[in-house]
Amino acid sequence: MQTLGRQRRKPPQDSSHLYPRGTKLYHVSRKGSGQNSRIQRPSSTVTVLKTMLVPVRYSVERWSYTLQRVTGVVVTLYFVLHVIETGNFIGGPTVWYVPPYDFAKAYYEHIKEFLHNPIFDVGLVVIGWMVAFHAINGLRLTLAHFGITLGRPSRVEPEAPPRSFSTLQRAIFWLSIALAVFAAVYSLNALMGVFAR
Amino acid sequence: MSERRLMLLHYVTGLGILITGAVHIWVVFFTVPLDQTIWETTMLFDNHPFAILSVYRNALLASTLWLLLVFTTFHAMNGIRVIIMELIPDERVMRAAKWLLIALGVFLVVYGTRTILIAHSIR
Repeated sequence: MQTLGRQRRKPPQDSSHLYPRGTKLYHVSRKGSGQNSRIQRPSSTVTVLKTMLVPVRYSVERWSYTLQRVTGVVVTLYFVLHVIETGNFIGGPTVWYVPPYDFAKAYYEHIKEFLHNPIFDVGLVVIGWMVAFHAINGLRLTLAHFGITLGRPSRVEPEAPPRSFSTLQRAIFWLSIALAVFAAVYSLNALMGVFAR
Repeated sequence: MSERRLMLLHYVTGLGILITGAVHIWVVFFTVPLDQTIWETTMLFDNHPFAILSVYRNALLASTLWLLLVFTTFHAMNGIRVIIMELIPDERVMRAAKWLLIALGVFLVVYGTRTILIAHSIR
């Protein structure tokens, strides 16, 4: 038996002998999308994750979606670690009272020495890139959520590629990439003094 | 809370993070002289206008930090919830994830508030 796969079967020119009277073209074309077909089968988490993380076959809109989620998750992990790490300013996680000044300072200096190395600095530069991108691209999404920057609706052309970005939205997306690069360069200098010295 | 309100709060807290985060970034990065690094100025413990304790002793900056903590916690936890919902659209998974994220969010706010309040009082 011939399998349909993802391709739609074109009905024969004269289909009166195959399909009941009254069958429309879209009934025929949807015949392969029944409950057990590949088209209707829900995607597995692995498949969804793969298409979310590696959108190589998709447009810049999809890259924006992927980057927003990846940067969101990474910045969240950093935020959790940052809240825990800043607890060292007052002497660590066991301190729930106002500690003596010298104790807090000695504890902080010890942690500061541990954190002062190129690996953490490079990590912070990457976080700087991600925070800047997530912030500006998130601003674009917020504007779109409230209906701003969406542009006027227009007729969908049959052969045109699918688009969701308006010109302004596309500009804000590329602005977020540019500002993220600036943030990375600036933090590289502020953390390690690459350009100042 | 309905999905619509959660997403509205997501965007409102996002805007709040932009404002309070801008203050935080300004204090950490843009107060550093060009010929110095962060470790030479804002990572000092004390005795500098933008050293660690100086920032926490300033009530306005400390309040901004607390708002940033609350906004970011909600925004991050709700963001993770949305991503989990997209990846695994299962009601049981969502229920478990919701309580885990609420617990993590409460821990972050309590732990961060402790740091801010105690650092504000160290003399």
